[in-house]
Amino acid sequence: MNNVKIKSKNLNVYYGEKQALFDVNLDLNEKEVTALIGPSGCGKSTFIRCINRMNDVIDICKVSGNIEIDGVEINDKNLDVVSLRERVGMVFQKPNPFPKSIYDNISYGPKIHGKGETKSELDEIVENSLKKAALWEEVKDRLDEPGTGLSGGQQQRLCIARAISVNPEVILMDEPCSALDPIATAKIEELIDELKKTYTIVIVTHSMAQAVRVSQKTGFFHLGKLIEVGKTEKIFKNPDNKMTQDYITGRFG
Amino acid sequence: MNFVLIFLITIFSLSLFFYGRSKTKSIAIEKNIKLNALPKFYGYYLILWCSIPSLVFLLIWSLFEPVIIKSIIIETAANQGAIFNDKNEANLIYEKIKAIHLGTYFGDIDSILRESALAYAKFINLFTNSKVVLIFAIVIVSVIYSLKKINKNNKARDDVEIILKGLLFVSSLIAILTTLGIIFSLLFESIKFFSVINIFDYLFGTNWSPQRAFVRDASSITAAEFEELKDAFGFIPLIAGTTFIAFIAMLVAVPIGLFSGIYMAEYASLKIRRISKPIIEILAGIPTVVYGFFAALTVGPFFRQIGENFGLTVSSESALAAGLIMGIMIIPYVSSLSDDVINSVPQSLRDGSYAIGATKSETIKKVVIPAALPGIIGSILLAVSRAIGETMIVVMAAGLAANLTINPLESTTTITTQIVMILVGDQEFDSPKTQSAFALGLTLFIATLILNYIAQRAVKKYREKYD
Repeated sequence: MNNVKIKSKNLNVYYGEKQALFDVNLDLNEKEVTALIGPSGCGKSTFIRCINRMNDVIDICKVSGNIEIDGVEINDKNLDVVSLRERVGMVFQKPNPFPKSIYDNISYGPKIHGKGETKSELDEIVENSLKKAALWEEVKDRLDEPGTGLSGGQQQRLCIARAISVNPEVILMDEPCSALDPIATAKIEELIDELKKTYTIVIVTHSMAQAVRVSQKTGFFHLGKLIEVGKTEKIFKNPDNKMTQDYITGRFG
Repeated sequence: MNFVLIFLITIFSLSLFFYGRSKTKSIAIEKNIKLNALPKFYGYYLILWCSIPSLVFLLIWSLFEPVIIKSIIIETAANQGAIFNDKNEANLIYEKIKAIHLGTYFGDIDSILRESALAYAKFINLFTNSKVVLIFAIVIVSVIYSLKKINKNNKARDDVEIILKGLLFVSSLIAILTTLGIIFSLLFESIKFFSVINIFDYLFGTNWSPQRAFVRDASSITAAEFEELKDAFGFIPLIAGTTFIAFIAMLVAVPIGLFSGIYMAEYASLKIRRISKPIIEILAGIPTVVYGFFAALTVGPFFRQIGENFGLTVSSESALAAGLIMGIMIIPYVSSLSDDVINSVPQSLRDGSYAIGATKSETIKKVVIPAALPGIIGSILLAVSRAIGETMIVVMAAGLAANLTINPLESTTTITTQIVMILVGDQEFDSPKTQSAFALGLTLFIATLILNYIAQRAVKKYREKYD
């Protein structure tokens, strides 16, 4: 068992009047993939958006409770969100490359955080990030072409490369394969397997099969509550909770 | 008379709608058949058949009736012994005859005029009567035809579709033909102008003083006069003034408009947005003449005063005042358009940028603005063509003298101002001075056309890059 990287304690989230998360207590282990499953609107995405404070962008969203990364409280008004997000990268449901060249898409983050002072340093970061995202061989000859011209799966790997470019510790993935075809999905899953050697990964997914394939630990959310969490094997073979059992066997959701 | 006819046709066709609808319903029940279209389509079918042929006939008749009557009457008058040497005199006599008929002629009426007026009255009567009879005939024939069709349970829905398609086609044809007509009238008048003034003297001349050509017939121009006119129509000062004032206006409108657009789209809370957006759009609703006197009476003298305090000579009609006010007028266009464009940048792009640790301003500068650039460029170019075509403000605030200057404190003039100046008051239509207005209009038209073309190319290029 790896060390605990992220720890949430009594996490509550409200969108205006509506409460989206209820007292979530969840530990995420270092250099491991944790999958979050559950029916739509159950709060999985809301939970991972708390880890990099993306909920700040939404005016009506209020977060109470604690989230610690390496024992440091991040749900703190005085915390520097910019450096938090440098440490916690994110990949979204729909690939969202910037309307810029492939090169500029990757160098965007390092430039913002002052990494890669010289052109050759930047070149190296771009190359490494693309290699880690298993995209380098496909795009190395056309780095100045627009990132939006790639195929859906390539775009998503570009977004993963973009997240890697600032050398984060954690990567959050919000249904990264839901807009992709099976072949592109297989590539991303392979990639996740590789990335977990370096990064702590949290993935939200609607595909039970995907959760089984990529994750070591799984949490099941329902109606804003964390129902059950444990080793992936156990959750899918022998869950403690009746609701989890019903969900993974497809009886609801 | 025409109005009465149109009114009657309208009423009749509307009542046919109800008739056709109930008639087809009863046919369906009587013969126990399935109708080929909903009953209301048979109603529409009758309306269209009753109104369109008769109205089209009325239109064509009204176009040709005066021409035909005129030629008949002039011939009658000539047969009576009236003497006229050219077309103008013939027209004069025709107008006299018409006035006698209407009872508004107070000169002497000789026997020729009296006879002609009687003939005129006769023909008017004849034409009106035959018009009414023909229209009734057309209505009856087309209604009988369409009723027959309806009784046979025709595919009224398809027929109505075809007729409606035709109507829409004719509407767009009218729009296109009108535009072509305007372009050709500009072109032909300009050609007349350029037959007197060399096109190169016009395009590259640096002196604009069309008043020198006042009341001179282009067809009978002498060599000496031509020498004098040759350098009176130099276009350079006008295009320079126009560009200069538009440039000043853009200096004001682009930054303020763009920044307020960004603020509205990215920073303003919903409450502020709800209040301030309409207020900015009110700016666009102020009539330009109001901006004009604001520029001429308030801003111009204000700059003059300030200039005097610094020991500068500022003309009270300055390019600066006109450009500044024009810029303020254009702000809402830039701001509201760029606000819309920025709003349409997908939130996912912003999320992607925030998620990597970019601040709001970094996100706007490096992601949102580049993504919205085609639209922003489009809105700016739209503002430029607005600025070039704007007339009232410059007429009132920029001055009339065509100075070739880049000093914003001096008065200067624009293409549109000069067109106004040339065409105000009594005109000799064949003097080069008047014709130069058409040449200016044509040049302005071509300039705006080129600008729009470039704008579209630029937008398309960016779009290819970013889509």
